Amino acid sequence: MMSTLISLFLKLSAFSLVAFGGINALLPTLYDLSVNQEHWINSQTFADYFAIAQAAPGPNLMTVTLIGWKVGGVIGAAVATLAIAWPSSIMIYFLQRSIMRMQDIQKQKMIQAAAGALAVGLVLSAAWGIALQINTGIAAYLLTIGTIAITLFTRWHPLYLIAIGGALGVLGFI
Amino acid sequence: MSTQPKTLSPMQLFIGFSKIGMSGFGGVLPWARRTLVEQEQWLTSEEFSAMLGICQIVPGPNIVNLGVCVGSRFAGVSGAFAAVMGLMLGPVAIVLLLGILYEHYSYMPVVQGLLRGISAVGVGLIASTGFKMMRTELKYPPMLSVIFLTILAATYFHLGLGWVVLLASPLAFYLAWRKLNK
Repeated sequence: MMSTLISLFLKLSAFSLVAFGGINALLPTLYDLSVNQEHWINSQTFADYFAIAQAAPGPNLMTVTLIGWKVGGVIGAAVATLAIAWPSSIMIYFLQRSIMRMQDIQKQKMIQAAAGALAVGLVLSAAWGIALQINTGIAAYLLTIGTIAITLFTRWHPLYLIAIGGALGVLGFI
Repeated sequence: MSTQPKTLSPMQLFIGFSKIGMSGFGGVLPWARRTLVEQEQWLTSEEFSAMLGICQIVPGPNIVNLGVCVGSRFAGVSGAFAAVMGLMLGPVAIVLLLGILYEHYSYMPVVQGLLRGISAVGVGLIASTGFKMMRTELKYPPMLSVIFLTILAATYFHLGLGWVVLLASPLAFYLAWRKLNK
Protein backbone atom coordinates (compact mmCIF):
# COMPACT_ATOMS: atom_id res chain seq x y z
CA MET A 1 0.00 0.00 0.00
CA MET A 2 2.65 2.45 1.08
CA SER A 3 4.82 1.65 -1.92
CA THR A 4 1.85 2.11 -4.26
CA LEU A 5 1.18 5.55 -2.77
CA ILE A 6 4.83 6.51 -3.12
CA SER A 7 4.87 5.36 -6.72
CA LEU A 8 1.66 7.31 -7.37
CA PHE A 9 3.14 10.41 -5.78
CA LEU A 10 6.45 10.28 -7.66
CA LYS A 11 4.98 9.57 -11.08
CA LEU A 12 2.27 12.22 -10.86
CA SER A 13 4.80 14.74 -9.55
CA ALA A 14 6.96 14.15 -12.60
CA PHE A 15 3.96 14.53 -14.93
CA SER A 16 3.13 17.86 -13.34
CA LEU A 17 6.31 19.38 -14.75
CA VAL A 18 5.75 18.35 -18.36
CA ALA A 19 2.00 18.97 -18.57
CA PHE A 20 2.10 21.89 -20.98
CA GLY A 21 -1.52 22.63 -21.78
CA GLY A 22 -2.68 21.60 -18.32
CA ILE A 23 -4.33 18.41 -17.15
CA ASN A 24 -6.12 17.87 -20.45
CA ALA A 25 -2.79 17.36 -22.18
CA LEU A 26 -1.92 14.77 -19.58
CA LEU A 27 -4.94 12.49 -19.94
CA PRO A 28 -3.49 9.88 -22.36
CA THR A 29 -0.34 9.65 -20.21
CA LEU A 30 -2.51 9.20 -17.17
CA TYR A 31 -4.46 6.48 -18.97
CA ASP A 32 -1.26 4.71 -19.89
CA LEU A 33 0.00 4.81 -16.33
CA SER A 34 -3.15 3.82 -14.48
CA VAL A 35 -4.64 1.32 -16.95
CA ASN A 36 -1.79 -0.19 -19.00
CA GLN A 37 1.21 -0.04 -16.68
CA GLU A 38 -0.02 -0.20 -13.10
CA HIS A 39 -3.46 -1.78 -13.63
CA TRP A 40 -4.96 0.42 -10.91
CA ILE A 41 -8.20 0.71 -12.88
CA ASN A 42 -9.58 -0.70 -16.11
CA SER A 43 -10.34 1.20 -19.28
CA GLN A 44 -14.04 1.51 -18.47
CA THR A 45 -13.43 2.97 -15.02
CA PHE A 46 -10.99 5.49 -16.47
CA ALA A 47 -13.61 6.62 -18.98
CA ASP A 48 -16.21 6.87 -16.23
CA TYR A 49 -13.92 8.83 -13.89
CA PHE A 50 -13.20 11.19 -16.75
CA ALA A 51 -16.95 11.67 -17.25
CA ILE A 52 -17.57 12.26 -13.53
CA ALA A 53 -14.78 14.84 -13.41
CA GLN A 54 -16.28 16.61 -16.42
CA ALA A 55 -19.75 16.72 -14.92
CA ALA A 56 -18.70 17.77 -11.41
CA PRO A 57 -17.86 21.37 -10.50
CA GLY A 58 -14.23 22.28 -10.07
CA PRO A 59 -10.90 21.96 -11.84
CA ASN A 60 -10.54 19.25 -14.48
CA LEU A 61 -7.77 17.58 -12.49
CA MET A 62 -10.48 15.70 -10.58
CA THR A 63 -9.84 12.66 -12.81
CA VAL A 64 -6.49 12.43 -11.02
CA THR A 65 -8.19 12.76 -7.64
CA LEU A 66 -10.55 9.88 -8.42
CA ILE A 67 -7.72 7.62 -9.58
CA GLY A 68 -5.88 8.37 -6.33
CA TRP A 69 -9.02 7.58 -4.38
CA LYS A 70 -9.35 4.23 -6.12
CA VAL A 71 -5.71 3.43 -5.33
CA GLY A 72 -5.66 4.47 -1.69
CA GLY A 73 -8.97 5.85 -0.43
CA VAL A 74 -9.15 9.39 0.88
CA ILE A 75 -5.41 9.47 1.54
CA GLY A 76 -4.77 8.29 -1.99
CA ALA A 77 -7.02 11.06 -3.31
CA ALA A 78 -5.10 13.64 -1.30
CA VAL A 79 -1.72 12.26 -2.35
CA ALA A 80 -2.66 12.22 -6.05
CA THR A 81 -4.12 15.74 -5.99
CA LEU A 82 -1.13 17.11 -4.14
CA ALA A 83 1.33 15.32 -6.41
CA ILE A 84 -0.13 16.70 -9.62
CA ALA A 85 -0.12 20.27 -8.26
CA TRP A 86 2.96 20.92 -6.12
CA PRO A 87 5.84 20.88 -8.63
CA SER A 88 4.13 23.22 -11.07
CA SER A 89 2.90 25.43 -8.21
CA ILE A 90 6.43 25.98 -6.95
CA MET A 91 7.63 26.58 -10.49
CA ILE A 92 4.96 29.18 -11.23
CA TYR A 93 5.54 30.89 -7.87
CA PHE A 94 9.10 31.73 -8.83
CA LEU A 95 8.54 32.12 -12.55
CA GLN A 96 5.72 34.64 -12.41
CA ARG A 97 7.92 37.13 -10.59
CA SER A 98 10.71 36.85 -13.12
CA ILE A 99 8.41 36.81 -16.15
CA MET A 100 6.26 39.72 -14.93
CA ARG A 101 9.37 41.78 -14.25
CA MET A 102 11.18 40.75 -17.38
CA GLN A 103 12.45 43.95 -18.98
CA ASP A 104 12.78 42.32 -22.34
CA ILE A 105 9.23 42.20 -23.72
CA GLN A 106 10.47 40.36 -26.82
CA LYS A 107 11.82 37.52 -24.73
CA GLN A 108 8.56 37.33 -22.81
CA LYS A 109 6.60 37.12 -26.07
CA MET A 110 8.95 34.49 -27.41
CA ILE A 111 8.43 32.25 -24.40
CA GLN A 112 4.67 32.69 -24.69
CA ALA A 113 4.62 31.88 -28.41
CA ALA A 114 6.76 28.75 -28.00
CA ALA A 115 4.89 27.39 -24.99
CA GLY A 116 1.56 28.25 -26.59
CA ALA A 117 2.34 26.17 -29.68
CA LEU A 118 3.51 23.24 -27.55
CA ALA A 119 0.31 23.42 -25.53
CA VAL A 120 -1.90 23.38 -28.63
CA GLY A 121 -0.14 20.32 -30.00
CA LEU A 122 -0.33 18.47 -26.70
CA VAL A 123 -3.99 19.30 -26.06
CA LEU A 124 -5.02 18.19 -29.55
CA SER A 125 -3.01 14.97 -29.35
CA ALA A 126 -4.53 14.31 -25.95
CA ALA A 127 -8.05 14.76 -27.29
CA TRP A 128 -7.26 12.38 -30.12
CA GLY A 129 -5.58 9.81 -27.89
CA ILE A 130 -8.29 9.86 -25.29
CA ALA A 131 -11.07 9.65 -27.88
CA LEU A 132 -9.51 6.42 -29.16
CA GLN A 133 -9.54 5.00 -25.65
CA ILE A 134 -12.97 5.96 -24.41
CA ASN A 135 -15.30 6.52 -27.35
CA THR A 136 -17.09 3.23 -27.81
CA GLY A 137 -18.70 3.57 -31.22
CA ILE A 138 -19.69 5.72 -34.16
CA ALA A 139 -22.36 7.51 -32.15
CA ALA A 140 -19.81 8.58 -29.53
CA TYR A 141 -17.51 10.00 -32.21
CA LEU A 142 -20.42 11.86 -33.79
CA LEU A 143 -21.26 13.36 -30.41
CA THR A 144 -17.62 14.38 -29.93
CA ILE A 145 -17.52 16.00 -33.38
CA GLY A 146 -20.86 17.71 -32.76
CA THR A 147 -19.53 19.09 -29.48
CA ILE A 148 -16.47 20.50 -31.23
CA ALA A 149 -18.60 22.15 -33.91
CA ILE A 150 -21.05 23.67 -31.44
CA THR A 151 -18.30 24.96 -29.14
CA LEU A 152 -16.36 26.52 -31.99
CA PHE A 153 -19.30 28.17 -33.74
CA THR A 154 -21.71 29.08 -30.95
CA ARG A 155 -21.43 30.47 -27.42
CA TRP A 156 -23.34 27.69 -25.69
CA HIS A 157 -22.31 26.99 -22.14
CA PRO A 158 -20.44 23.64 -21.85
CA LEU A 159 -22.88 22.53 -19.17
CA TYR A 160 -25.71 22.35 -21.74
CA LEU A 161 -23.58 20.10 -23.92
CA ILE A 162 -22.73 17.87 -20.98
CA ALA A 163 -26.44 17.63 -20.15
CA ILE A 164 -27.35 16.79 -23.75
CA GLY A 165 -24.59 14.18 -23.93
CA GLY A 166 -25.76 12.62 -20.67
CA ALA A 167 -29.37 12.55 -21.88
CA LEU A 168 -28.42 10.92 -25.19
CA GLY A 169 -26.45 8.34 -23.23
CA VAL A 170 -29.33 7.60 -20.86
CA LEU A 171 -31.64 7.11 -23.83
CA GLY A 172 -29.21 4.53 -25.17
CA PHE A 173 -27.96 6.38 -28.25
CA ILE A 174 -24.28 6.44 -27.33
CA MET B 1 -11.45 54.40 -10.39
CA SER B 2 -9.11 51.82 -8.93
CA THR B 3 -10.41 51.05 -5.46
CA GLN B 4 -8.90 47.59 -5.18
CA PRO B 5 -7.05 46.89 -1.97
CA LYS B 6 -3.30 46.26 -2.17
CA THR B 7 -3.49 43.23 0.08
CA LEU B 8 -6.11 40.63 0.84
CA SER B 9 -6.20 38.27 3.77
CA PRO B 10 -5.70 34.55 3.15
CA MET B 11 -9.29 34.07 4.37
CA GLN B 12 -10.64 36.39 1.68
CA LEU B 13 -8.60 34.54 -0.94
CA PHE B 14 -9.83 31.20 0.37
CA ILE B 15 -13.47 32.29 0.11
CA GLY B 16 -13.05 33.89 -3.30
CA PHE B 17 -11.38 30.84 -4.76
CA SER B 18 -13.92 28.52 -3.14
CA LYS B 19 -16.58 30.32 -5.16
CA ILE B 20 -14.54 29.82 -8.31
CA GLY B 21 -13.97 26.13 -7.66
CA MET B 22 -17.56 25.34 -6.79
CA SER B 23 -19.13 27.17 -9.71
CA GLY B 24 -16.70 25.92 -12.33
CA PHE B 25 -18.88 23.50 -14.24
CA GLY B 26 -17.34 22.62 -17.57
CA GLY B 27 -14.13 24.53 -17.01
CA VAL B 28 -13.06 26.80 -14.22
CA LEU B 29 -11.24 29.56 -16.09
CA PRO B 30 -14.31 31.53 -17.28
CA TRP B 31 -15.56 31.57 -13.69
CA ALA B 32 -12.19 32.73 -12.49
CA ARG B 33 -12.46 35.79 -14.71
CA ARG B 34 -16.02 36.47 -13.63
CA THR B 35 -15.18 36.27 -9.92
CA LEU B 36 -11.75 37.93 -9.85
CA VAL B 37 -12.41 40.71 -12.35
CA GLU B 38 -16.14 41.39 -12.35
CA GLN B 39 -17.44 40.49 -8.89
CA GLU B 40 -14.57 40.95 -6.44
CA GLN B 41 -12.61 43.34 -8.65
CA TRP B 42 -9.30 42.16 -7.27
CA LEU B 43 -7.74 42.37 -10.72
CA THR B 44 -8.34 44.48 -13.80
CA SER B 45 -9.14 42.68 -17.00
CA GLU B 46 -5.63 43.39 -18.34
CA GLU B 47 -3.95 42.12 -15.18
CA PHE B 48 -6.05 38.98 -15.31
CA SER B 49 -5.18 38.28 -18.94
CA ALA B 50 -1.47 38.82 -18.36
CA MET B 51 -1.50 36.54 -15.34
CA LEU B 52 -3.52 33.87 -17.09
CA GLY B 53 -1.16 34.01 -20.06
CA ILE B 54 1.74 33.11 -17.80
CA CYS B 55 -0.22 30.41 -15.97
CA GLN B 56 -1.14 28.74 -19.24
CA ILE B 57 2.40 28.57 -20.56
CA VAL B 58 3.80 26.95 -17.44
CA PRO B 59 3.08 23.22 -17.23
CA GLY B 60 0.69 21.86 -14.64
CA PRO B 61 -2.95 22.46 -13.83
CA ASN B 62 -3.67 25.97 -15.17
CA ILE B 63 -6.22 26.91 -12.56
CA VAL B 64 -3.98 25.86 -9.68
CA ASN B 65 -1.22 27.94 -11.25
CA LEU B 66 -3.62 30.89 -11.37
CA GLY B 67 -4.46 30.36 -7.70
CA VAL B 68 -0.77 30.47 -6.83
CA CYS B 69 -0.21 33.62 -8.92
CA VAL B 70 -3.18 35.56 -7.54
CA GLY B 71 -2.82 34.28 -3.99
CA SER B 72 0.89 35.04 -3.72
CA ARG B 73 0.45 38.47 -5.25
CA PHE B 74 -1.99 39.57 -2.56
CA ALA B 75 -0.78 37.62 0.48
CA GLY B 76 2.50 35.84 -0.26
CA VAL B 77 2.99 32.14 0.32
CA SER B 78 0.08 31.79 2.73
CA GLY B 79 -2.15 33.54 0.21
CA ALA B 80 -1.13 31.05 -2.45
CA PHE B 81 -1.92 28.18 -0.08
CA ALA B 82 -5.29 29.68 0.85
CA ALA B 83 -6.28 30.22 -2.76
CA VAL B 84 -5.35 26.69 -3.86
CA MET B 85 -7.05 25.14 -0.82
CA GLY B 86 -10.20 27.14 -1.49
CA LEU B 87 -10.13 26.04 -5.08
CA MET B 88 -9.71 22.35 -4.29
CA LEU B 89 -11.45 21.43 -1.04
CA GLY B 90 -15.09 21.71 -2.10
CA PRO B 91 -14.69 20.07 -5.52
CA VAL B 92 -12.57 17.23 -4.09
CA ALA B 93 -15.28 16.49 -1.50
CA ILE B 94 -17.98 16.47 -4.17
CA VAL B 95 -16.04 14.32 -6.59
CA LEU B 96 -15.30 11.76 -3.86
CA LEU B 97 -18.99 11.65 -3.04
CA LEU B 98 -19.71 11.01 -6.71
CA GLY B 99 -16.99 8.34 -6.70
CA ILE B 100 -18.76 6.55 -3.86
CA LEU B 101 -22.10 6.78 -5.67
CA TYR B 102 -20.38 5.41 -8.76
CA GLU B 103 -19.14 2.36 -6.83
CA HIS B 104 -22.73 1.57 -5.87
CA TYR B 105 -24.59 2.33 -9.06
CA SER B 106 -22.16 1.78 -11.92
CA TYR B 107 -23.75 -1.59 -12.71
CA MET B 108 -26.92 0.16 -13.89
CA PRO B 109 -27.17 0.53 -17.69
CA VAL B 110 -28.66 4.01 -17.25
CA VAL B 111 -25.62 5.21 -15.30
CA GLN B 112 -23.27 3.61 -17.83
CA GLY B 113 -25.11 5.33 -20.69
CA LEU B 114 -25.07 8.65 -18.87
CA LEU B 115 -21.31 8.50 -18.34
CA ARG B 116 -20.64 7.37 -21.93
CA GLY B 117 -22.56 10.37 -23.23
CA ILE B 118 -20.79 12.78 -20.90
CA SER B 119 -17.33 11.46 -21.69
CA ALA B 120 -17.92 11.76 -25.46
CA VAL B 121 -18.85 15.43 -24.90
CA GLY B 122 -15.86 15.86 -22.58
CA VAL B 123 -13.46 14.74 -25.30
CA GLY B 124 -15.08 17.22 -27.66
CA LEU B 125 -14.68 20.04 -25.14
CA ILE B 126 -10.97 19.31 -24.80
CA ALA B 127 -10.49 19.18 -28.56
CA SER B 128 -12.28 22.49 -29.03
CA THR B 129 -10.08 24.10 -26.37
CA GLY B 130 -7.15 23.01 -28.51
CA PHE B 131 -8.72 24.37 -31.70
CA LYS B 132 -9.52 27.70 -30.04
CA MET B 133 -5.93 28.02 -28.85
CA MET B 134 -4.80 27.21 -32.38
CA ARG B 135 -6.33 30.43 -33.71
CA THR B 136 -3.32 32.28 -32.32
CA GLU B 137 -0.93 29.98 -34.16
CA LEU B 138 -2.70 30.55 -37.47
CA LYS B 139 -1.35 34.12 -37.46
CA TYR B 140 2.10 32.66 -38.02
CA PRO B 141 1.57 29.48 -40.09
CA PRO B 142 5.13 28.03 -39.72
CA MET B 143 4.24 27.51 -36.06
CA LEU B 144 1.73 24.88 -37.20
CA SER B 145 4.71 22.60 -37.83
CA VAL B 146 5.31 22.48 -34.07
CA ILE B 147 1.74 21.37 -33.56
CA PHE B 148 2.09 18.78 -36.32
CA LEU B 149 5.36 17.46 -34.87
CA THR B 150 3.84 17.22 -31.39
CA ILE B 151 0.80 15.33 -32.60
CA LEU B 152 2.92 13.00 -34.72
CA ALA B 153 5.29 12.21 -31.84
CA ALA B 154 2.50 11.71 -29.33
CA THR B 155 -0.14 9.84 -31.30
CA TYR B 156 1.76 8.07 -34.10
CA PHE B 157 5.05 7.26 -32.36
CA HIS B 158 3.45 7.05 -28.92
CA LEU B 159 6.31 8.87 -27.23
CA GLY B 160 5.85 9.82 -23.58
CA LEU B 161 4.88 13.37 -22.72
CA GLY B 162 8.36 14.28 -21.50
CA TRP B 163 9.99 13.12 -24.75
CA VAL B 164 7.43 14.94 -26.86
CA VAL B 165 8.12 18.19 -25.02
CA LEU B 166 11.89 17.71 -25.33
CA LEU B 167 11.64 16.92 -29.01
CA ALA B 168 9.31 19.74 -30.01
CA SER B 169 10.52 22.59 -27.83
CA PRO B 170 13.71 23.44 -29.80
CA LEU B 171 11.61 23.91 -32.94
CA ALA B 172 8.98 25.84 -30.96
CA PHE B 173 11.57 28.25 -29.55
CA TYR B 174 13.34 28.65 -32.89
CA LEU B 175 10.08 29.50 -34.66
CA ALA B 176 8.99 31.80 -31.84
CA TRP B 177 12.31 33.64 -32.24
CA ARG B 178 11.79 33.85 -36.03
CA LYS B 179 8.21 35.04 -35.55
CA LEU B 180 9.31 37.97 -33.40
CA ASN B 181 12.30 38.90 -35.53
CA LYS B 182 10.78 38.62 -38.97
